[in-house]
Amino acid sequence: MAESIQKKLKAELEKYTQIQKDVSMSVSARQKLETQAAENNIVKEELDLLDSSNTVFKLIGPVLVKQDLDEAKATVAKRLEYINGEIQRYETLLKDLEKKSEHQREVLTSLQQDFQKAQGLIAGKDCPVFSSVQLPSLC
Amino acid sequence: MAEKGNTNIDHLGGVVRLREEHQKVVKECQSRIQHWKKVLGDYEALYDRLRTLPDQLCYEIMVPFGPLAFMPGKLVHTNEVTVLLGDNWFTKCSAKQAQKIVEHRMKHVGSQLDDVTKTMKNFEARVGLAKDLETMSSNKGDYVDIREEVGNNDSAVTKGKQRIAHKPNSKPKMDVVIGLKEEDEAETGDTGRSKGIMTEEELWARLDELERLEELQDEQDRLSDNADMNGEDTSSSSSEEEKEAEAAPPVNALSLKPSWSSVPPSVQPLRDRKEEDYEEDGSCLPTIFFSHTVEPKKVRINTGKNTTLKFSERKEQKEHSKRKKKNGHSNGHSHHELHKITTPADIYRLFVDVKNGEPIPRKSILKSRSRENSVCSDTSESSAADFEERRVVGRSFSHDETMHSDTSDGITEEDSPTAMPLQTPSRFEAFSGKVVEKDPMPSTVPYLTIVPPALPTILERKQEEVAPDVTPPEQVPKRVSKFKAARLQQK
Repeated sequence: MAESIQKKLKAELEKYTQIQKDVSMSVSARQKLETQAAENNIVKEELDLLDSSNTVFKLIGPVLVKQDLDEAKATVAKRLEYINGEIQRYETLLKDLEKKSEHQREVLTSLQQDFQKAQGLIAGKDCPVFSSVQLPSLC
Repeated sequence: MAEKGNTNIDHLGGVVRLREEHQKVVKECQSRIQHWKKVLGDYEALYDRLRTLPDQLCYEIMVPFGPLAFMPGKLVHTNEVTVLLGDNWFTKCSAKQAQKIVEHRMKHVGSQLDDVTKTMKNFEARVGLAKDLETMSSNKGDYVDIREEVGNNDSAVTKGKQRIAHKPNSKPKMDVVIGLKEEDEAETGDTGRSKGIMTEEELWARLDELERLEELQDEQDRLSDNADMNGEDTSSSSSEEEKEAEAAPPVNALSLKPSWSSVPPSVQPLRDRKEEDYEEDGSCLPTIFFSHTVEPKKVRINTGKNTTLKFSERKEQKEHSKRKKKNGHSNGHSHHELHKITTPADIYRLFVDVKNGEPIPRKSILKSRSRENSVCSDTSESSAADFEERRVVGRSFSHDETMHSDTSDGITEEDSPTAMPLQTPSRFEAFSGKVVEKDPMPSTVPYLTIVPPALPTILERKQEEVAPDVTPPEQVPKRVSKFKAARLQQK
């Protein structure tokens, strides 16, 4: 009885850790996107300040390619939009993942309770170790 | 003690960890500040360089050739600068333009620096707080838990609250009604109710029930409001405690709890006091509205419906007739009118200034004609003295009755159902206006309607007039001038 619960607990725990990883990944991705968005905002402002007298270049690999000012402005604007869209997407993904993790946490706690009950009934040998390992992960 | 010690230790551990976390943030902020400062320094150097660069046509320099070698060379085209805008975008511009860009960027860096500094300060404060908590929880020697029991302030708080509540936009009347109702319930209690039940139909009995429920609800709301007020006080007083006793959250909860628990009982005695005062010719304690002067009561006619009868009467009115006539209101309607403003007169009825703890009705700018239906200061003033004399007992009923009757001035177009509950008021002499009955009413209850211009001479006869007034309701025309009404009365 306790063994089966133990196995279940392990499986659920793995799922939970996986979800947590996904959450952290999306969070970091979102942060990156945010910095990019900020940078592009600055570029946009600078381009607006420029007049057509000075040429605009884009660094593509090791090459500086000459660009048209208006074209550059358009490109930057489009990129900005794209980044914002990505941010939104990641936000929704993040929410979803958080919900999942919450749910998973609940499942884990209930399983843990069952396990402890079972453990209480049986004089567990290795169980205490297991439970002590499990608990911190939920915090 | 042991438990407390354990909790302290736990909290201590938590506080230590909190402090550590805060310190981490502070360190991070510091490093970020360093970074931004460096950037700012770089930009400033760049700015200087750009300034001086176009001075010469070309410069003789040693050009770095890889990481280890240099080569003599010349720096030409000193005015042409290729600036990185960000995200792999470049632009060629003059030195001056580059300077402008640099200035722009320096501003941006400055703002970032400010933000980080602010954050750091914030967290430094938190660290300090955590430190204090730590020392607090570890040794309670130096710090003392400061608790403030809010007991005496209740009356003041309530009083204040009452005063504050007495604003045009709020519902002072409701409060008053509630207060009065409380008193009524307490004082008259069953008697009033029984009377109502006896005299009213079953429908009205039902209305009474509803009314009572509503009263209770309002009472609870008021209590909770008072409690909130007290709670606020305690929270503010305990904010100091928080700093010192954060390590022991239960302490806070405890400190708050007694305040909360003390509120309801404190409110209770307040109510009792209210009732007492009321009996003693009214006092301003329960609500400022209730004083022993006539004015407020008269003005309160509309507001002071603390009798269950009246209340139900109002409901009855609402039930029976949806519409209100402008001028003529029966008593029941007057109550209904209370909370509904259809004429300017109603406004003046509703809003009363509070001066020196006594509500003083505002002087109406309406003409006397329309004032027949409203309670004006004049009438109240004139009858103030009499009113006091006639105050047999500081019974809420009497107050209510008078006010009730006051509101229903001369013209009453409403039907009989409103007449019923007024049976009891006739006993009291608090009512100072003229009673003119204009509607066909059941003879059971002398329905009191008041014609506002209360000539002093008539007041004395008010009592006797009540009975005869019952009979000639139909004969009285809809609009009656004061003097005619007086004459009618005298008949």
